[in-house]
Amino acid sequence: MVPVTSHPDNQTQINDSRQRTHETSLMSHDPHACHGPEHSWSRRRVLGALGGGAASAAIGISNLLQPACAAPMRRKNKQVLFIWLDGGMSQLESWDPKPNTAFGGPFRAIPTAINGVHFSELVPETARRADKLALIRCMSTQDENHSSGVPRIQRGDPKNRGVTYPFLGSALAKLKPPENDLPPYVWIKPGSGGFIWQDAGFLGAKFGSLALGDGKPPIHINRPDSITDALEQARQDLRRKQNQRFRKTRRSSEVDAYDTSYEMALQLMKRHDLFDDSLLSPRDVERYGTHPLGRHLLQARRLLEAGVQFVKVNSYHWDTHGDNFNMHLDLVPQIDKPFAAMIDDLDDRGLLDNVLVVLMSEFGRTPKINSRLGRDHWPEAWSVMLAGSGLQRGMVLGGTTDNGAWCKDEAFDIGHLFHTVFRCVGIDPEKTEYDNDGQPLPIAHDDCGPIQQIMI
Amino acid sequence: MPHHTTSQPRPRQAIGICLAVVAWTCPPLTAQSLTQIIDREIGQHADGPVSERCDDGEFLRRVFLDLGGRIPTSAEARTFLDDRGEHKRTQLIDRLLASSDYPRRLQQFLTTTLLERRTDSKVTDAEWTGYLRETVAANKPWNELVTQLLFSEPREDKSLPPQARFFLVSGRADQHQKTRDIGRLFLGRDLMCAQCHNHPTIDDYLQADYFGLLSYLQDSPAKARTEFESVFNPGKKDTGPRLPGGQEVNIPKFEKGQEQEALKHRPRLLLASSLPRAENPLFVRNSVNRFWCLLMGRGLVHPLDMHHANNPASHPKLLDALAAHFSARKFDVRDLLRQITLSAAYQRSSRLPAGASEADVPPQSYRTAITKPLSPEQMGWAVMQATGNLQRLAAAKPTEKSSFTYKDYINGRIDGVPETLEDTIKLFVGVFGNPPGEPEVVFNPAMGHALFLMNEPLILNWLEPRPGNLMHRITQLKDQDKLVEELYLSVLTRRPTPQELEETAKYLQRFSEHRNSALHNLAWSLLASAEFRGNH
Repeated sequence: MVPVTSHPDNQTQINDSRQRTHETSLMSHDPHACHGPEHSWSRRRVLGALGGGAASAAIGISNLLQPACAAPMRRKNKQVLFIWLDGGMSQLESWDPKPNTAFGGPFRAIPTAINGVHFSELVPETARRADKLALIRCMSTQDENHSSGVPRIQRGDPKNRGVTYPFLGSALAKLKPPENDLPPYVWIKPGSGGFIWQDAGFLGAKFGSLALGDGKPPIHINRPDSITDALEQARQDLRRKQNQRFRKTRRSSEVDAYDTSYEMALQLMKRHDLFDDSLLSPRDVERYGTHPLGRHLLQARRLLEAGVQFVKVNSYHWDTHGDNFNMHLDLVPQIDKPFAAMIDDLDDRGLLDNVLVVLMSEFGRTPKINSRLGRDHWPEAWSVMLAGSGLQRGMVLGGTTDNGAWCKDEAFDIGHLFHTVFRCVGIDPEKTEYDNDGQPLPIAHDDCGPIQQIMI
Repeated sequence: MPHHTTSQPRPRQAIGICLAVVAWTCPPLTAQSLTQIIDREIGQHADGPVSERCDDGEFLRRVFLDLGGRIPTSAEARTFLDDRGEHKRTQLIDRLLASSDYPRRLQQFLTTTLLERRTDSKVTDAEWTGYLRETVAANKPWNELVTQLLFSEPREDKSLPPQARFFLVSGRADQHQKTRDIGRLFLGRDLMCAQCHNHPTIDDYLQADYFGLLSYLQDSPAKARTEFESVFNPGKKDTGPRLPGGQEVNIPKFEKGQEQEALKHRPRLLLASSLPRAENPLFVRNSVNRFWCLLMGRGLVHPLDMHHANNPASHPKLLDALAAHFSARKFDVRDLLRQITLSAAYQRSSRLPAGASEADVPPQSYRTAITKPLSPEQMGWAVMQATGNLQRLAAAKPTEKSSFTYKDYINGRIDGVPETLEDTIKLFVGVFGNPPGEPEVVFNPAMGHALFLMNEPLILNWLEPRPGNLMHRITQLKDQDKLVEELYLSVLTRRPTPQELEETAKYLQRFSEHRNSALHNLAWSLLASAEFRGNH
């Protein structure tokens, strides 16, 4: 399928390259450094130096020593699956169809497992599971650009306080340090992997995401065949003994930090089964589908089952400015099938009460169909699909006007969504704040509150 | 001890000049050497238990890493450890400073400090590293290097001089990034928070300072006046080029026909001639502070880019003395490094004083030597040297333009392992280095580092016996004690203790059926140890 690119005549979307990654979008478009990531780091250092932090700054072992959160915030087992369809999936071709209207397009609507609620015919599998889901049809947000919109949304669209807020996965890694030794924030994506420190914003590089390119594990996670279990045991024992001896007469915190990095590595290596595709059942492979999004969601399920706290899965190329209907005909089943399988699997495993599932894009698409049979960006009224921890099941909140262009009654912004997400995983944004080296910062937009209607 | 408050530049300047004159003209009897001043100042403020002098093994490894960027071979180690000469430490310092390792080591340090892992493709790596190595080898005065980095006259043929890389690296096209980096790297002041308003908590950092510096970084005299307004105090202000604590430069307006005159007032040219000077205390103090940190593991002012009245030096008189000395010696880097390494403070052990705990010896007291992390380059050189693979890799012909990148390697797009020294160092920098823009000063052990040393085929391959390398040498040795000694000298730059000899003997006995594996494990465990990872 030939990807559609922005038509040169269409001036409003010109700046957005199809090859953008969220890393490049970090380059601040704001003229002032107050909005850049560096602003926050230097603030932290300044305030740290004044607070007598100079001594501890010399020994940077904080990498591995996570500060404890207040007990009320910690809940066992809450996890998040964050599915990001980059480019803007059309709500009209998925969750909020308007058949037989001026802007409805060629597809029909089908009934769902929720009485009276219809989805697009392109999502039959998800429609059958609608009674387990919570859908918001009245999102109305600020940013119509990919490059600024994507990170802005994933950072919770906070008020501008001159700091770069962390992506949701980094935020949770900090606010809810996981109780296992697995990486707290894993990002399964097409393309290359690596450690994406930029996601962490002012929290500091260590809260970044561990990106798995095409879902594959970090290159050094597998022990070479030449090293048997016995050899591994032997060499680690020797190493530990060396360190014990060395530590007796020296400053211990650095030795301890170094030791811990090995123990964490060994823990991760034990879970190489999580990436061993030969362990997958053919049935699962078939249910999720063999295209990348399906495979990546199946990989995500394995990580969630293992206890990874936050898994993000990205799919690209949803930006259908041209040939919208053919493209959605092709793309939407790629999410419909594995998403439905995921809901089934989480529910079967008793995980749906503990895992919060978020399925969204950076905005929706225009009801108006343009001259290339495409739909353009439309943040004014769009949908976000949710499920799981803390949420009602079989719930549809809000609606759009008959032609789909505007939210009818209430409307919610990203700030509301983040308030909701935090509460659903057991964090109270009223009682919790970031401490950016003495600068208190709200974890979600201060002018917003949770969307109570969809919460239990 | 009373802290020095920051005084106005003029009296300090005058004192500095007087001291410099005294240092030059007075006979040695009346002026202490910088080394002596260091020990006097550190000693006078010790106020607690002090570690003993480091032993020869500690000293050998530390100074080889600090001045040579590598660890010694087992032969070099033996020679030094068995030398009974009284002045062997001083002689080793001088030997290293005169060696070809020193320019390479300083070039690596300066590249990381000045470019912070930012990349550029217009100036080749070879040009940049060659330029810096020549600079160091010739012991070019530090202020001259900084002058050239800040401004170089464009060439006739439009080709780029190597020093142009400083401003060409990714991110530095942005004028705000440039301003910030100049402030941090050359003046010891992170002025980022003073862009939109006077610094909220540091009285010394003014918005006017930020824009004074930014004005210096404009391309042409016509643009050298910048307007600014505080988000807290409305009211537009403007400034021409001005260094913090300095006078504003008035750049005249130039009409058509006055191009020649205008050239003399290019803001960056003016910056290059006014910033790196003895008369600019911010420049001098920042410079000596950074070189001090290179050797001692911590700046006298720490963090390194936070010089201000409420963050005084841990040893204010010492910082003054270092600055005065550096100016007086015309910014002679080799001399500065020599003076510091000769001191007892530098040659202190990292072993805690008897009966003392970690809490008893805060780093800024220098009562116990601070363990510095090995830089990614040092790590690469040390691992290659320890495993005895350095010679082979250094002899491999460097490719004109290697296509090896760390990113390709970790994403499995490269078959095989790096086969040249350059590519190997690229791999180590990728694994152990920081993201672009993040200084590498503190020790940050990461899981990825551990995974690398544990599972990277290249590392394990280096520990397979191959003619000339460590494993080959030790598998040939029949005498067990000699074997263990060779291993420890090669990897940890010291002899094993009697307890270590005993325990190793037991271990090898236990695995006598799998001797080669056992030796491999032993070598690996030393390589993966905290003792190897740190420069202690």
